[in-house]
Amino acid sequence: MVHPHKRSRTIARAPKKVFSGLSSSGLSCSLDVSTTRRRFLTLSAISASSLLLANCARQIGASDPSANSGGEGDSLSVYSWVNYSDPTLLKTFAEKTGIKPTVDTYDSNEAMLAKVQAGGGQNYSILFPSDYMVTQMVALGLLQPLDLTKLVGLDQLMDQWKSPVYDPGNAHSIPATWGTTGFVYDPTRLGFEIKGWDDLFANQAKLERKVTLLNDVREVLGSVLKAQGDSLNATDPVKVKAAYEKLAAFKPAIANFLTNGWEDQLASGDILISMAYSSDAQVLMAEQPNLVYVLPESGSSLWTDTIAIPKTAPNLDAAYAWMNFFLNPETSKELVTRRRFATPNKATYAKLPKAIQENRTLFPLETVLAKCEGIAPLTDALAQTYDQYWTQLTSA
Amino acid sequence: MDAVYRMQDFQDSVKCDRPPRLPQDRPVLRYRARMPWLQPLLLLAPAGLWLVLLLVFPTLLLLELSLIPDFRLGQVPGAYGVGNYLTLLDPLYLKVVGRSLFYACGTTLLCLLLGFPVSYWIALLAPRRWRSLLLLGFVLPLWTSSLLRAYAWITILRPSGVLNSFLGWLHLPGQTWLNSTPAIFIGMTYSFLPYMVLILYATLEKLDRRLLEAAADLGAKPSQTFWQVTVPQTLPGIVAAGLLVFISALGDFVVPDLLGGSSSMTVPRLVYQQFLGATRNWGLGSSLSLLLIGAVGVGIWLLLRFGDRQSDAL
Amino acid sequence: MEQTLAAVRTDLAFDIELQTVLKTFGDEAAVQDLTLQIRPGEFFSILGPSGCGKTTTLRLIAGFETPTAGSVCIQGQDMTQVPPYQRPVNTVFQSYALFRHLNVWENVAFGLKLQKLPREEVRSRVATALEQVKLDGFAKRTPAQLSGGQQQRVALARALVNRPAVLLLDEPLGALDLKLRKEMQLELAHLHRSLGLTFVMVTHDQEEALSLSDRIAVMNQGRLEQMGTPSQIYEEPETAFVADFIGDTNLLRGRVSHSNGSTVQLVTEAGLPVWTDRRSEWNGTLPQKLVVSIRPEKIRVSQLEAAGHDAHNCYAGRLRQVMYLGPNIQFQIELATGEHLTVLQPNRARLPALDTEVQVSWSAGDGRALVA
Repeated sequence: MVHPHKRSRTIARAPKKVFSGLSSSGLSCSLDVSTTRRRFLTLSAISASSLLLANCARQIGASDPSANSGGEGDSLSVYSWVNYSDPTLLKTFAEKTGIKPTVDTYDSNEAMLAKVQAGGGQNYSILFPSDYMVTQMVALGLLQPLDLTKLVGLDQLMDQWKSPVYDPGNAHSIPATWGTTGFVYDPTRLGFEIKGWDDLFANQAKLERKVTLLNDVREVLGSVLKAQGDSLNATDPVKVKAAYEKLAAFKPAIANFLTNGWEDQLASGDILISMAYSSDAQVLMAEQPNLVYVLPESGSSLWTDTIAIPKTAPNLDAAYAWMNFFLNPETSKELVTRRRFATPNKATYAKLPKAIQENRTLFPLETVLAKCEGIAPLTDALAQTYDQYWTQLTSA
Repeated sequence: MDAVYRMQDFQDSVKCDRPPRLPQDRPVLRYRARMPWLQPLLLLAPAGLWLVLLLVFPTLLLLELSLIPDFRLGQVPGAYGVGNYLTLLDPLYLKVVGRSLFYACGTTLLCLLLGFPVSYWIALLAPRRWRSLLLLGFVLPLWTSSLLRAYAWITILRPSGVLNSFLGWLHLPGQTWLNSTPAIFIGMTYSFLPYMVLILYATLEKLDRRLLEAAADLGAKPSQTFWQVTVPQTLPGIVAAGLLVFISALGDFVVPDLLGGSSSMTVPRLVYQQFLGATRNWGLGSSLSLLLIGAVGVGIWLLLRFGDRQSDAL
Repeated sequence: MEQTLAAVRTDLAFDIELQTVLKTFGDEAAVQDLTLQIRPGEFFSILGPSGCGKTTTLRLIAGFETPTAGSVCIQGQDMTQVPPYQRPVNTVFQSYALFRHLNVWENVAFGLKLQKLPREEVRSRVATALEQVKLDGFAKRTPAQLSGGQQQRVALARALVNRPAVLLLDEPLGALDLKLRKEMQLELAHLHRSLGLTFVMVTHDQEEALSLSDRIAVMNQGRLEQMGTPSQIYEEPETAFVADFIGDTNLLRGRVSHSNGSTVQLVTEAGLPVWTDRRSEWNGTLPQKLVVSIRPEKIRVSQLEAAGHDAHNCYAGRLRQVMYLGPNIQFQIELATGEHLTVLQPNRARLPALDTEVQVSWSAGDGRALVA
């Protein structure tokens, strides 16, 4: 299933953005129970067939037609986000290590998971799962535990990523890039300043059908939960309900729930405020300098895309070389400068030009960042509750 | 001459227990005659395999999943039951189903209202040499992706968009089109009108014009002729076209998502949400999918029954 | 009931009047300079080869076509611009044009229901109409369940039930096989007699036209060639086309060489001198080109030695072909000058052998001089 909104113009990408949910049942599942074997097989078949279709579309966009062929000797097969492919990076990597990388791409964590689960990812030595997906894949036993002694520069990671919640001790993944969720708007056009949700709620009358929110229940409800002073991953149904009710009351202002497709409407002024991922905001703001990105002062979600090695990786040495290439401040500096990715690497950050260092869209102030949280898995019952509120909200 | 004799010998030896045949009866035909089922089987095999692998099999899997209440991917499946279907009876979901039906019915009606006059004109009134060109004009939008067309409609329908600029130029007040129900109808009607026009054109083109003259001859005004002859005569085509549009509109994901605004949850979007959203409740998603498949199936069944009765009459 | 209707209409001079009608499609004139008058109660046929404009003429009367020039009057009223649904005529279409989504009863009732007549009247009139065409008992069938002849009757009933001033029939029997066609011809004649309605029938079948019609209009290439009773059309053709088209004839082309009071002599290119009655076709000049038409049955064939009676035209020839037609025998005779004549004789005498020398003869009054 390919999310149909993917835009090709921007490198806008959605690590966990399109569908961030995760059922904790995934963690507790035991596939070895013999009675479930049959059903597991049938499920794999579903995944396989949906992937057949999904891949047809994706292969066209793959940056290297010889992808999928690597795995042995001095070649490395990488399975990456559709918008992460960077020919210069691949060239530099090949020059420095003598390993020839080939890249296949995916556009959602779920698609990547399904392919790896169905056994279609056996050629790949490198994956780019988002934070919650790392947790899920570790639980499913799909990721290689890392030999940290082979990695150089882990100590240079920013504090938040030294031992992240989604993967304690970086046992299965290293962070590659990160971002936040916030609001994009034109202060001049809007006429007032936005610091957080309260400014939106207070000015609801001026915002009728002028706001787009992400098409993602966890991001939207989570962000409002933060505004109420709760956790992004609140488990108290009462608090979740309160957040839903705030949104329901704010509904007249909400023009649409869009993860992609809000950009033009915001640029033209038809929409005044869009909730967006910092990475997408960054892209639009490069074209529209009058726009600003704000992280709600109450905090919001903090997401990380990581690099991980699947259990079936055919070429471990090359995989570690890839990871070290990313951890190396010299080489990752170039990528960050060129593509404006937020790096979790202190040493890399130190080497960045001042303009990028002070880009608050990419690198929010520590004080604000401290209030951000990663989206964590929910119990089935709670996920169902979130889902029903979402259906209600989009159906009222 | 020798060759002919040898051929005869060969044939006689092969079909010793059969009556002699004429020389032009070639051996390959005999092979077919012995296994009459083989040829149709060979012809049907590729399509059949395709259908079984990509339609029947996945649908059966969906059916199984839909019968496991609240089944989630990677989870130990619970016992079979109809819990998912009972969940669908929740007003929350019924409302979504109702909205989907509303969009689909409205789109079908709009396509019919817009498509019939156009098809009628192309098929019966427009100069013959223009017809292909006119039809091509209608089919042309189908050559671009539906996603691209939806984005184009955003540009047209947004408050500062093309449509409101045009209305302003006419000194008419601008309207809020985008992110609203009208936008859904505009987008979906635009998407599916070509199907309506193509099918209606094919039907109307076959319409026996002498019947229209016969009606006029018997005293029917043009409007009476239209309702009492043209419409009944083209009813199978109208039903077929309407059903195709209805089914397509019922399953459309892109237009409600991009143009429909914040209260446009439809069944396909809900299916998507169940499979890849927060809950990843594949059980519920499957039952929703089957609901869609069921609705479409009933429609097709009606079409076949109705179509049969019509063709009996013809 | 129908009888009284017919009686009411007799005070009108004409039911249909076409006045110098021109109808063009693009550059081509389908009908030109057409003037016709059809009398009340008449069985009028328009006869001609395909493409002669006869169907266009009928469509002009029905209102499916509007004349490019000229006028169409029905029952004394100018209906040139009146749409078909307001004209007091009904049509029996070629291959019937029955409504396939309706059954027989509904087909016949179609026009009456449009008139918003009381249900009871609709019922009784449909029943009567179906009875008239001998289809009572078929009311619930669909057209698809009927034979060609039965469909034809439904089409008739559907038109008649409206009691039109004029019934238009467009090749009504064209799709039927020969035997059925003969039967339906009789029925049409019977219906026409019993209803007293004006019938206007388009046909390419001359025999049908001759046997059914009170009057016939023969058309060719969009023009009216001749209008008259069947015997006039047959016996006194006005043009070579009519002579040739209606029945068989021998056409001898030549120039007038001299005249002799009431007769003129024509000499064909091969040199055959033919005597014929003087008619207005000859403008009196020499050597005007004319055609003489002689019907095959008017020519006598006799043994060579039995020659010498009072016939004006008496020539020797050789029997080239003999066709045995049952009641008649048809001969092809080659004259000494090279002309071929077709001769029809009653099957009375012993058949002469091929290539025997014979003598053909006809009187001047049997030939008919026509404009070439």
